[in-house]
Amino acid sequence: MMEMEQSASRIFAIKTTSKQERTVADNIKKAIDTGASDVKVTAVIVPDELKGYVLVETHESLPRIEQLVEKVAHARSVIKGETALSEVGHFLVPKPVVSGISEGTIVELIAGPFKGEKAVVKRIDAGKEEITVELYESVLPIPITVRGDNVRVVDKGDLS
Amino acid sequence: MAATKKLVKVCRDCHRVVDGESCVICGTMNLSTDWAGYLVIIDPERSEVAKKMNIKLPGRYALKVR
Ligand SMILES: [Zn+2]
Repeated sequence: MMEMEQSASRIFAIKTTSKQERTVADNIKKAIDTGASDVKVTAVIVPDELKGYVLVETHESLPRIEQLVEKVAHARSVIKGETALSEVGHFLVPKPVVSGISEGTIVELIAGPFKGEKAVVKRIDAGKEEITVELYESVLPIPITVRGDNVRVVDKGDLS
Repeated sequence: MAATKKLVKVCRDCHRVVDGESCVICGTMNLSTDWAGYLVIIDPERSEVAKKMNIKLPGRYALKVR
């Protein structure tokens, strides 16, 4: 029989040794794959913003996750208290660095060969977090594609 | 300890961490070393995280790829 459990998954935070967040995520998978632990975890999230912790997605209880932590090198303890995926979901859809920039926005390039030049935004690729700009004072408007975090907004340019 | 920062490559299409020169899932060589956040999928069938990220196979992934 298939297990009928359809409960929403829980999220627990595990404290890790400093700078070993990704190692702990790999070690959890290893512990489960090799059968060193029979605790079931479905995914481990390691957001860069969260220093010293990893988030495990599981259908198991806190004491079971505590058992798992004992088998995982560099994992130190489980934070008492669970959360739902909806509360940590924002880590899964990181805010694009191009947000706040739209067509017509005037930006200053802060990196690359045109550093210091002002430019008008012509196109935005939110998925790739890239924007295409044309240099403001250039006689020949050549489109340049740069990363969203390589510009600084000078003027929103939304005056109609 | 020496700060040896290994440049780990990920697939630009499926975000999977790639060991060789091409992604075993997509077959693409469109890889990136510029990525952030890390995700290990263990049981994609029961993982809401995997569903949300549209991941069907267990493995190691980047949360964000440039
Ligand atoms: Zn791929």
